[in-house]
Amino acid sequence: MKRRDFVRNMALVSAGTPILVNNVSLQSVGKTLFDVSKSAEDRVLVIIRLNGGNDGLNTVIPRDQYANLSIQRSNILIPETSVLPLTTEVGLHPSMTGIQNMFNNGKASIIQNVGYPEQNRSHFRSMDIWSSGLIDSNPTTGWMGRKLDSDYPGYPTGYPNSTDTDPFAISMGYGVSSTCQGIMANFSHAVSNPFDVFNLTGSGVVNDGTYYGDHMEYLKTLIDQANAFGAQINAAATAGNTMSTLYDPLNELSTQLQYVAQMISGGLKSKVYILNINGFDTHDAQVDSASTLTGGHAELLKGLSDAVEAFQDDLSLLGLEERVMGMTFSEFGRQVASNASLGTDHGDAAPLFLFGTCLNTNILGPNPVISDTIVNQIGVPMQIDFRDVYASVLHDWFGVSTSEVQAMFEHSVTFYSLMNSCNVGIEEEELSKNKAIIYPNPAFDNATIRFTALNEWVKIDVYDIQHRKVASIYDGKLTQGRHDVKLEIIDLSAGEYIIQIQKESGLVHTKLLKVK
Amino acid sequence: MPQDEVAQPISYSMAPYSGAWTKAEAGHLLRRTMFGPTNQQILTAETDGMATTVNNLLQVPVIGEPIAHDSQEIIAGFGTSWVNSVYPSDPLLVNSVAEARNKSLAAWIIGRLNTESVSIAEKMTLFWQNHFAAPFTGDPRATYDYHALIYNNSLGNFKQLVKDVTINPCMLLFLNGATNTLFSPNENYARELLELFTIGKGPQIGSGDYTYYKEEDIAAGAKILTGYIVDGLASDTLTNVTASFNATLHDSSTKILSSHFGGVSIPDNGANEYSDYIDIIFQQNEVANHICRKLYRYFVNFDLTTSVESDIIPVMAATMISNNYEVIPVIAELLSSEHFYDLSLRGTLIKGPLDMLLSVFNSTESVPGFDILTDGIMYSTLYSYGDVLGQSYASPPSVAGWPAYYQEPAYSQLWINATHLRLRFQLTDFVTLYTGIPGNGNNWKLNILTFLDNLSSPADAIAVIDDLVDVFVPKGMDAVQKLILKTILTNGQPDFEWTIEYGAYTADPGNSNVSDPVRSRVEAVLARLFQMPEFHTL
Repeated sequence: MKRRDFVRNMALVSAGTPILVNNVSLQSVGKTLFDVSKSAEDRVLVIIRLNGGNDGLNTVIPRDQYANLSIQRSNILIPETSVLPLTTEVGLHPSMTGIQNMFNNGKASIIQNVGYPEQNRSHFRSMDIWSSGLIDSNPTTGWMGRKLDSDYPGYPTGYPNSTDTDPFAISMGYGVSSTCQGIMANFSHAVSNPFDVFNLTGSGVVNDGTYYGDHMEYLKTLIDQANAFGAQINAAATAGNTMSTLYDPLNELSTQLQYVAQMISGGLKSKVYILNINGFDTHDAQVDSASTLTGGHAELLKGLSDAVEAFQDDLSLLGLEERVMGMTFSEFGRQVASNASLGTDHGDAAPLFLFGTCLNTNILGPNPVISDTIVNQIGVPMQIDFRDVYASVLHDWFGVSTSEVQAMFEHSVTFYSLMNSCNVGIEEEELSKNKAIIYPNPAFDNATIRFTALNEWVKIDVYDIQHRKVASIYDGKLTQGRHDVKLEIIDLSAGEYIIQIQKESGLVHTKLLKVK
Repeated sequence: MPQDEVAQPISYSMAPYSGAWTKAEAGHLLRRTMFGPTNQQILTAETDGMATTVNNLLQVPVIGEPIAHDSQEIIAGFGTSWVNSVYPSDPLLVNSVAEARNKSLAAWIIGRLNTESVSIAEKMTLFWQNHFAAPFTGDPRATYDYHALIYNNSLGNFKQLVKDVTINPCMLLFLNGATNTLFSPNENYARELLELFTIGKGPQIGSGDYTYYKEEDIAAGAKILTGYIVDGLASDTLTNVTASFNATLHDSSTKILSSHFGGVSIPDNGANEYSDYIDIIFQQNEVANHICRKLYRYFVNFDLTTSVESDIIPVMAATMISNNYEVIPVIAELLSSEHFYDLSLRGTLIKGPLDMLLSVFNSTESVPGFDILTDGIMYSTLYSYGDVLGQSYASPPSVAGWPAYYQEPAYSQLWINATHLRLRFQLTDFVTLYTGIPGNGNNWKLNILTFLDNLSSPADAIAVIDDLVDVFVPKGMDAVQKLILKTILTNGQPDFEWTIEYGAYTADPGNSNVSDPVRSRVEAVLARLFQMPEFHTL
């Protein structure tokens, strides 16, 4: 949109919209109250940023690497017997009992070794990369901002309006989130307390086409939006409810998630909530000198784990579980070896957490392999590209088609099945177009291929990149409908493979990445 | 904001500005270099002309030390400096004394801003605070020491300042230099020294290669910087926090820098090795480019267009290099340049919280003026307002400083979102219309009558509004907005009614029956002005 149109439209919007919006909004809040829909339209994603670079190796602990971890980081290592077991290979930091409970109930999952190629260890550059989902280009938009821009082109011109009454994203606290930076404006509205009502005086300034004029317009838009969105948020918070007794008022994240539950249950139609915890840049005093079980990092992880457990409990009690999913992220992990200050320096990949009831996997990706010798500056190598996690979330959770998702990223996207187990009816439609989905992908020991058949003969083979057949998976008749066939790939060497599904109704090829 | 849709400057010349020198140019210069000039200061600058005013701005006034005002300070005497005072032996009392000293430090910083003279020193000190971004430490004596360093060298030599900051106890504590040893190098400071403080991070062009330096330079830098330790923290016997060099903790191996530094070797030079290393970094001209871009963004505009990159930054950097990294010649050239006064570059910055809050008080000539305790409480309260609005002076949110100074694409727009805007309006209302800043049973309100009396023609309603616009906003105001303000001033009466009201007050200034109505009208005008978008830009 040209700036001239933008200016003109803003002038129209400012004429009387805020008042109109307030009237409409109050009706819509009443109407949607507790009206839980399973469609992607009404879904909410909660993103928790662990600011500073979380030490993944002391968060999700590779139990099968413990002996070598004690070589690399003896001064901060959690005692082996204190690690909370999830599987025989994987454990959690002992302060994360909340996430452990959720994991055991299928409501939390872990994606291992998430990062990006050629890790940049600058906090700022790396946070820009994580916020934008772009590595090569100079980012000016966030990954959620691009998704929202494609849904609501031209924003903020013409918003809010009688259809879209609510802010599209909420950033808890006082600042907006760069994850939600769109082309023209940031989609997130900062909320520190949704129960505060306010109404700011309007202003009649116009944009004179200079940098100054742009600021004038920005400030004026903020005034209008603050009034309109503020009223919506307040109405939702007042109409909403919260039922869990697990929230801890002294835990800031817990309080903020409680507000989020309150707003969602009150019918606020925001699609994304961004929350932030500071303090993960643990160069020193990550653990107490007296005990590695306590210290700054333990408190941070406990705060996260307890808050998320309370939030999930609340969603369950409110009957909202199938509408809300969550994820964490941090700009990088930390180096494998600790330093002498009881801390760790900037590193590479790290695990991230997903939470909610619509998860597909429990743990995606193998444990990192820890060496028995200390190599200066070594981090955990990346195996799963964070951009593919974002892409898969957009696809699984918001139902964005694979081609649309691909268009939002600069790399060739690999889709994982992360949170589509509630998508009854959504996937078949896409599968019927002669497609197949492999998950997890990349895979380590086994994977599942999901496809549809029409009461027909089906033959499935695995080819390597030179198109040599390396395995036959299935050869037989299948009934009409969706099928999941297991692929045992533990014996394959690492690399790219083509899975070929030969059906009477057509040929389907899809790519599988085998990792070690 | 796509730059091709915004009116661009007419002049990219760094030659001295020779155009009209009016109140508008004088106001532009002082608003960009101070925390809120008064009407009189702007008029004086107009009379003095550009060259004299720029010269005046480039002086660094001598400042005092923070003084004890809080009752939890039980070592230093009330009203005396605590910067060389020990802590109590009782560990339970150390925290409360440190808290008292932090309050005093906050009051000292804000008090300085509130009483600044016509000098760029405070604006430059905030620039360095944003650049080096060391926050409060556990011992306020070290925090003070760091603040005194960046203030006293605010217009000094950039290279020397980097050296001094590198071994300043506050910085050694902040970025783990104090625990960076031969036995376990800690890369925290070594990374930021390159990425943020000197050469800046370029695009990543290879594995661990950031155009101007590589990961291996960070590893080498960490080794070079090993051996400095900090002593005296919260000590009950040592009167200062000091840094010292401990040779046994220093990595004495020869360090080799990457190809970006010509693969140069840095042999062991003990306590001075850090200085050798910084000298080598400063041989790269990119250091000057990096700091000049930051200065440009801070004083002129966020948008480093291709023309700015080709015509402005190289001139600034060349001036800096030819003056061996002295700051004054660069600032003098910039503030005297045609480019700086280009009309399209006025109002290009949104005021940060400190700019916004201090301009309310400073431009209205408002200081608390009670006693040491009361002023101390009020100043530390004003400090906390800055914190609430997103700018706690001594606690930048990260080592990169405040995002509004560096984060693309929004830059200074990041100072304000809908939540912050509302807080700004509430706070300005509070200090203008309601009780003012409370403290020790008193209230610090705006000094409305003195401010009014010092305007050009206070009896003339139109002139009053014109002066307010000249003082507080960067590019004037349209007739409608001015009329709104004048209508508030006259309470909807004809203009001559204001003249009569003001005359009644000057005839009997001690009579609150005539002064109160005049004051309350101006308060109402200012409260409205402070809610206009124009006021929130520089």
